[in-house]
Amino acid sequence: MGTLVRSLIRNRKALVGMIIISVIVLIAVAAPLLTEYNPAARVGRPHQPPSAEHWLGTTRIGQDVFSRLIHGARTSLAVGFGAGLLITALGTALGIIAGYRGGKTDEVISFFTNMVLVVPNLPLLLVLAAFIGQASPLVIAVILGFTSWAWGARVTRAETLSVKHKDFIKSAEMMGEPRWRIMTFEIFPNLISIVGINFIGSVIFAIITEATLEFLGLGDPKTVSWGMMLYNAQKASALSVGAWWDILTPCFALALLGIGLSLLNFAVDEIANPRLRTGNRLSRWTTLIRTGEGRL
Amino acid sequence: MTNPLLSIQNLTIDYVGETADFRAVDDVSFDVAQGEIFGLAGESGCGKSTIAFAISRLHKPPALIRSGRILLEGRDVLDLDQAALRSFRWREVAMVFQSAMNSLNPVLRVEAQFHDVLRTHLGLTRTQARERTAEMLRLVDIPPDRMRDYPHQFSGGMRQRIVIAICLALNPKIVVMDEPTTALDVVVQREILQRINELRRTFGFSVLFITHDLGLMVQFCDRIGIMLAGKLVEQNSAGNIYAQPQHDYTRKLWASFPSLHSADLMKVAAS
Amino acid sequence: MVFLLRRLGFYLAAFIAAATINFFLPRLMPGDPIEIMFSSAGAELSMENLAALKLTFGFVDGPLWQQYLTYLQSIFTGDLGRSIKYFPLPVTSVLGHALVWTIGLMGTATIISFTLGTFLGILAAWRRGSVFDIVVSVGAIFATSVPAVVTSLIVLFFFGFTLGWFPTGYAADPALDPAFTLTYIGSLLYHGVLPMVTLCTVLTGGFAVTMRNNMINLLGEDYIVMARAKGLSDSRVMLWYAARNALLPTVSSLAIAIGTILGGSLVTEVVYNYPGLGNILYQAILARDYPVIQGQLLIMTIAMLVANFIVDVSYVLLDPRLRGA
Repeated sequence: MGTLVRSLIRNRKALVGMIIISVIVLIAVAAPLLTEYNPAARVGRPHQPPSAEHWLGTTRIGQDVFSRLIHGARTSLAVGFGAGLLITALGTALGIIAGYRGGKTDEVISFFTNMVLVVPNLPLLLVLAAFIGQASPLVIAVILGFTSWAWGARVTRAETLSVKHKDFIKSAEMMGEPRWRIMTFEIFPNLISIVGINFIGSVIFAIITEATLEFLGLGDPKTVSWGMMLYNAQKASALSVGAWWDILTPCFALALLGIGLSLLNFAVDEIANPRLRTGNRLSRWTTLIRTGEGRL
Repeated sequence: MTNPLLSIQNLTIDYVGETADFRAVDDVSFDVAQGEIFGLAGESGCGKSTIAFAISRLHKPPALIRSGRILLEGRDVLDLDQAALRSFRWREVAMVFQSAMNSLNPVLRVEAQFHDVLRTHLGLTRTQARERTAEMLRLVDIPPDRMRDYPHQFSGGMRQRIVIAICLALNPKIVVMDEPTTALDVVVQREILQRINELRRTFGFSVLFITHDLGLMVQFCDRIGIMLAGKLVEQNSAGNIYAQPQHDYTRKLWASFPSLHSADLMKVAAS
Repeated sequence: MVFLLRRLGFYLAAFIAAATINFFLPRLMPGDPIEIMFSSAGAELSMENLAALKLTFGFVDGPLWQQYLTYLQSIFTGDLGRSIKYFPLPVTSVLGHALVWTIGLMGTATIISFTLGTFLGILAAWRRGSVFDIVVSVGAIFATSVPAVVTSLIVLFFFGFTLGWFPTGYAADPALDPAFTLTYIGSLLYHGVLPMVTLCTVLTGGFAVTMRNNMINLLGEDYIVMARAKGLSDSRVMLWYAARNALLPTVSSLAIAIGTILGGSLVTEVVYNYPGLGNILYQAILARDYPVIQGQLLIMTIAMLVANFIVDVSYVLLDPRLRGA
């Protein structure tokens, strides 16, 4: 675990990613201190361009875009991390159980996993959300959690299969450790990097999907979130009337958060799979070749 | 040795690290004569495979040749440009790799894996290449009509024989064998080595044979070099390596050997 | 063959699963399912029509299993009910018409971005650590991590509104009659540029990264080293030995990506007012046109299964080890 953290800090992608995410988290936490405007209230004239008073302008109905942006960050982060955690927990548990228990248990879990993987995710979510009506962020997070674990379950199962036959598992079995203990304390710690990749990937997926569902009109209109900002701006034809600040603000926020998380994800992937790493050694090698200190 | 076929002179190879380098091959020199089987023994990580790769210049960054020369019939391999290097590879030095299961491209027919060599080096058409392929497969006792099969349709031993057949397709001067039989069981191992020996007598190529299995090597090679941590610590005829090992490490290697084969090996050494 | 037949059986099961979700969802919601399903219709729906719709969706007098079988029967006979927003058009014809546009847009974008992404990935892996590799890798991170909604809106804003180079909506000039003429096809292509650029931006990076990583994982294999030792040209080794093998895991990851591609395509259509499934769906959601919303899940599932099947078949064609089995 300690080495993982250390390698993360030494990896440039991870560092940039973590800085981006930390800044967004800090802003979200400190949102009430950073703005005096209520994000839901009408505080100015409609569609005002950015000014000293309203840093990022106002919406069609006169809400302050900056205030909505930083309060909305809370929703995106909460849904992302909440749903991400649920997705990862379910996928990891199912994957480890299927991989370790094998037999009928594995067949049943794998069958369901594969089935969920071929039913298209967004259309399914649309049906679910449409029947629920106006889905609050919490509801969206829960639906996401219960419908999106399949990919994680599949990769975790595959990894479990490769760990299962290692000697330390065999010796734990010989010593009569109960199965749940083997799964929790022997197998799980060895899957930490795949779980990490699954978690970050799931957070990205949850944030993107929440925004998409809300953009498509399935969100709760009272919610202050980046997805609802997009929905309202699109409904107000913000682009056609030239109110670019209304629509580009949540756009860039989502893009930035997505990039931050992805950088982190790629870094974890590189650390977990050393073959993907391209360190500083290559540049030193190139220098040595150039200065004629050796050849290939 | 006068006019050796292959002459490695003071070869030093590093693996470049972020700050420090790891010396994989340290000032190694040896010669291989025409038609000779030269063995290079040592434990894994001692640098023997690095040398094998260097002869065809197959190593990749971060490997770096610091100094030395690799002469084949007096021509320095390290001075070849890309085009010359490509035509040098396989035509003069062919290679058999460690894992028999894995040396053939799983998605290409055996025929195609002969054909691309024959086309690249000799400009043969598909029909001409088929003829040559059939001829080569017969040499290693594989029915030529199986050339349309894919590698997974052959057993491990057959695959390694196919690799050997591909190796000989261009009549190379030397065949480098990097642990060619490690992945195979003992019976197949012996069969393959005997086959190589026969073919060598017929075609007169030299062999650079690399393995960690000193017992096997003594039975098969004319001369042997022992490597330890990148250095060549001893080289001598196979009989002498067995009967009068000079270096401590060679003695240790023998001591670690089960005495089971001893009688067997003595016979070989005596002959 | 057995492999493909097994897959077909599995697809049938998956389709029934999607139908089952459709069947149970309204019944699981609090309140009267019939009321939920058809309330948005208001007074336009005559008693007669309502009865027909109820039958289609399995609302018959009888136990749950009988209702379920009734529903499955209507689905397997191709009756998905009638749209409420576009009454009395059947759901199949509303969605079928839109599906053509979606498949056109999504199919073209997938082919372009898969080809492009795969080639970028091959070259990036081959020139590992070079400037080209870094540009591709970092570009891919950026492109894949930005939601399709955001990419569509940003592309639309810059190239549609600010620069005004391309039209900002519709699949073709609405003033033109659909016909097989140069003008109409030209207009189609012109209107298709921005949605296509958006989708390709969203998709290419993912394919490039997958291919790059698969290639890198393969480059140490003995058959690659042997190919180099054989003195083959760089391009031969790269394409026929490395890429040809790395393509296998890439194709199987394509199967999983299809769902995401579909999602991206739906959203892009909404933003560009493109007459595909996404747009129909958007309208249906706003109008709470449940028969259409349910119908799209089935149609999309079929589309996804067909796409998966194509991937399965091409996998078998690409991997000789599966062909005999």
